[in-house]
Parts: sequence; C-alpha cells; structure tokens
Amino acid sequence: MANYGMALDYKNCINCKACEVACKEENGVQLGADKHRIWVGVKEIEGLWPNLSIASSTFEPSQCQQCENAPCQEVCPTQATHYTKDGVVMVDADKCILCSYCMEACPYDARYVKEDTMTVDKCTFCSDTRLLRGETTTACQATCPTKVRTFGDLDDPNSEISILLAHREHRTLKTHLGTKPKLFYLI
Amino acid sequence: MFVLAEKGMKIIERFIPMRHTDIRELLKFEKTPLNLLVAFTTLVFLVLFVVGATNYLIHGHHAYGVTREHPWGLMIAMYIFFVVSSTGLCIMSAIGHVFEVEVLEPFAKRAIHGALVTLLSGFVVIFLEIGHPLKMMIYNTISPGLTSAIWGMGVLYSLYLIFIVIEFFFLLRHDHKWAKRFGIFGLVVGVAAHSNLGAVFGFLVARPVANGIYYPLYFILSAMVTGCYLIFLMYGFKYKLNFPPEMQKTLVATSKILGLLLAILLFFEIWRMLTAIYGGMEDRAETALHILKSSPFLVGEILLGIVIPFLVILLSNGKAIRTMVFASLGGMVGIFFMRYDLVHDTQLYPMQTLKLREYQLPPSFIEYFPSTTEIFIALGAIGIAITLYYIGDKILYLETDPD
Ligand code: SF4
Ligand code: SF4
Repeated sequence: MANYGMALDYKNCINCKACEVACKEENGVQLGADKHRIWVGVKEIEGLWPNLSIASSTFEPSQCQQCENAPCQEVCPTQATHYTKDGVVMVDADKCILCSYCMEACPYDARYVKEDTMTVDKCTFCSDTRLLRGETTTACQATCPTKVRTFGDLDDPNSEISILLAHREHRTLKTHLGTKPKLFYLI
Repeated sequence: MFVLAEKGMKIIERFIPMRHTDIRELLKFEKTPLNLLVAFTTLVFLVLFVVGATNYLIHGHHAYGVTREHPWGLMIAMYIFFVVSSTGLCIMSAIGHVFEVEVLEPFAKRAIHGALVTLLSGFVVIFLEIGHPLKMMIYNTISPGLTSAIWGMGVLYSLYLIFIVIEFFFLLRHDHKWAKRFGIFGLVVGVAAHSNLGAVFGFLVARPVANGIYYPLYFILSAMVTGCYLIFLMYGFKYKLNFPPEMQKTLVATSKILGLLLAILLFFEIWRMLTAIYGGMEDRAETALHILKSSPFLVGEILLGIVIPFLVILLSNGKAIRTMVFASLGGMVGIFFMRYDLVHDTQLYPMQTLKLREYQLPPSFIEYFPSTTEIFIALGAIGIAITLYYIGDKILYLETDPD
C-alpha cells in the first residue's frame, strides 16, 4: 500500500506539452481533446510594456490533484468514484451513471467525459496502465524533458518525492478548500 | 391495447370513484378560444418533445449545449422547476387537509394531483439528462454513495412519490384519516427531499456562490411560492376567472399567505446578494455582481417572480384574485428563471483561471445557452404536465366532494 503523490518543479516547465501527448497516448485520450486529463496553464506576464516581469512568465502544469479529501468522491451517488488502496482517486466506468455531479464538485475542473464509454474520467496517475504493468513512473513524468515531475510514495520517507518535499518549499492549489491535494508545486 | 387499458380502468374504478370516460369523451372539451389555444400549444409541445427526445436518444449529450465547464444545463433546471412545483403543491395541500386549515381545504385534492403530475414530468426530464438512467437504478441500490446529495435526493423523491400516490388514493376515496396519515409522511419526506435538492448545490465547496445553507432553505420557501402560483393558475383556468364565493374565500386566503411568502423571499434574496458581495471575496462577489446585473435575474426572478405579484397582493389587500391569476402566470415565468439561474449561476465562475494557449485571453465567466434539443424537451415536458393534468381533471373527482 502506497500513498501516491506528485511534486512539480513547475518553474522549469517550458510548455512543450510533451506530457499532454504522452498522457493521451498512454491512456487512450482522443487526439486534439483540449484539457483532457492533463494540461499546462499559461500565466499572464505581469507589468506594462516595456517594464514586463520576465520572472512572472511561468507555466503551471496541472491535472487531477488526487485530493486526499476529494469532493468528487463525496458527491458520487454510486461510489463509481473511489479511492484505491494506493490513495489514488479513480472512476469505475461500470458504475458511473454520467450524472456529472463530480464535474460540478471538482474545484480544479479536472474531470471530463470519456467519449467511448460516455462516463466521466480523469488522471489516474497511470494506475490502470503503467503502474499496473509494474512500471514506477507516470507517462508524463517519464517524458518530461526538464524533469518537472517527480512521482512517488509520500508515505515512504526514502522515496525521491518525500526527500524533495522535505527539502524544498512547496504549495498546493486552492488549499483553503480543505481538499488536501497531493500535487505539490515546488517554490 | 385500448381493451387492456379499459380493463385496467375498470379495476381501478372499483377502488376509487372515477367518471366513466372513453377515449372519445376524453378528447371532448368546450371549444372556447382559450381552451383551443391551450390544446394547440400542448399538442405542439408534445410533438417537440418527441423530436427532442429522439434527437437525444440518437446523439446523447452531444445534442445538448452543455460543456465540460458547464456540465449542467436546461435539463437540470427543468427538473428542479418541476419537482419544486410538486413539493410546493404538496405543502399547500397539506396545510388544508393535514393541518386542517379549513379555508385552504378545497384545493387539497387538486393540489396533490398537480404535485403528482409535476413530479412525474420532472422524472421524465431527469431520465433524459442522466447519461445512464438504468445503471442509476441498479447502482444507486447496490452501491449507494451515502455522502452524495444526489443519492439522498433520489431515494427521498422515490419515497415521496410512493407516499403522495397513496395519499392521493385515500383523498379520492374520501378516507380522511388515512389521507392525513400519508399526507404527513408525504409532507415530511417531500420537504426532506426538496431541501436535499438544495443541498446538491449547497454542498459544493468548489462553488462559493452556491455553497452554504441558503439553497436548502430557499428551496422550501420558493416551493411554497410556486405552489401558490400554480393553485391560482389551476383555479383561474378551471373557473375562467368567475370564482364561486367559496373559492373566492380560499383564493384570498391563499394570496395573503403568498404575500407573506413573497416578502420573506425578497428578504432572502436581498441578504443573499449583500452577503455575497460584501467583503469582495473574488469568486463569490464577482459572480454575485454579474448575476445582479443580468436581466434574467432582474426582470425574470425579481420583477416577474416576486415584485409584481407582491404588489398586486399588497395594493389590493389580497383581494385581486383575478389579477393574481395573470400575475401567477408571470410568476411562473419568474420561477423558471429562478431555477435556470440557480443552475447557470452556480457554474459561472471558471474553476481554471489560467489560459491554456499563449495568445488566448484568460477564462472569464462561463457561457452557456441551451441547444434546440434541450429547449424542445423542456417545452415538451410542460406539454406532458398539462396533458397528465387534463386527463386527471377529466376522470377524477378533484374537488372536495364529487360533482
Ligand atoms: S482534483 Fe478534482 S477530480 Fe481530482 S481528486 Fe480532486 S476533486 Fe477529484
Ligand atoms: S458522473 Fe459518474 S463518477 Fe461522476 S458523480 Fe456521477 S456517477 Fe459518480
């Protein structure tokens, strides 16, 4: 049993979108689908020309935050959305009735409707693909050229992610909502 | 099929007093211009329903204007519109026949009939919204998500349906003792179901404009207002504005209750807006200001839904019951906007505020407009409600005593 999370050294992101492509390939997301599973947000550059702050121009890779206290799981009427033993929030397509309540409830707009099954889906940390095959990385992590992403077990003090989080300051998104996200943005 | 239906009717007739009618008689009505207009409109709505529902069955949710950022649309609003009407009528009926406020007793049966009809129409709409309705029935039962307000709502509304059917059955048989007992159950479960529907929105921590206690309470209040409007409409149509003296008394009492309810509703709305805007919490205040400036809110919800009927009641001391029939028609349009806005406004503020491509603008308020299919089904559901109401009115004795 693990407690999976991901740390993002987001200031290293160059918005090449390799992660988006790798994720689509690995998890069967239709090509061209915008903001499905993972995406990269672009922050506006601050200041007025010519005094623009280059440092403010960052990219923020995002996806399902794998909340420890997930609103999407709480609202699901059929328990289609559930936690796995590794702390990953997943959707059981057989049980999903497409009521879209979870899409309403997710504060991160992380869910989408999967076209082939017409059920709701989202990032699963590759639990049902790569991890199932015995690999230890997610597709987005494996492909990232600037090593933005570190995926691993938060409960294991010797894992790369635990060490990273112990040494680097980090923040989470919309922390005030109490969802306890497990995506950590390194500062 | 007709033979079977007739046999079924004969069995039912043994248990509840009914007018003996065949199909031909059912379709007969007085050919006044108003009746013809309603009949024609209903027919058009029913045709639209068939077109809309067929399109949905072929194309699924693609036939709707909903998007990933705005997953709930007109269908959810219509469902709420109908079930609110149902709860409102049930509460108003209970005041008369359960709590024995005599002056309101005359509409007890008709109101429960209306509650049943609107509830069934709401169910039709929600079946065309949920992606997998059959799976819903199975997994809601064998894999219940007990923390889900939608699950609670589903269970409570199903129980509510059972109770009001039984209540109606006893009302029709003039068995007041049992009608009252089931009336109490129906009322309690109906109020619980309905406030639970408010909680579907109130529980959303992600949506500050909806999150909190407001909707579960407001739903009950606005349901009662809807119930009063529908009573005016049902009786206004039945008596063609020439109310017998007994009914005049009942409707004046109803309009006085409605006046009080509208005053409270206005009070609710004012404080909702003030608390949302005060302090300038970005997502809540900006959304509330956006709502405040929109015409569906100002003209629909406030003017038609609250202020005009309120002024009619206030200025006439509740006695202008004929004018109230027209004000109630406007009131129902206002109530529709209350439901539509509730669904749309909850989803207005984007959950993602970063843009995704370099030369885009950052996301602002989410836009949504219902597709033709959604509009067809919504109008069609009104057609279904009117048809069911008409059939009940024809074959059942809906006044206190059989005519
Ligand atoms: S980010 Fe959204 S979809 Fe992911 S676990 Fe949290 S609430 Fe659920
Ligand atoms: S859409 Fe599916 S996963 Fe989401 S709440 Fe409804 S049943 Fe659960």
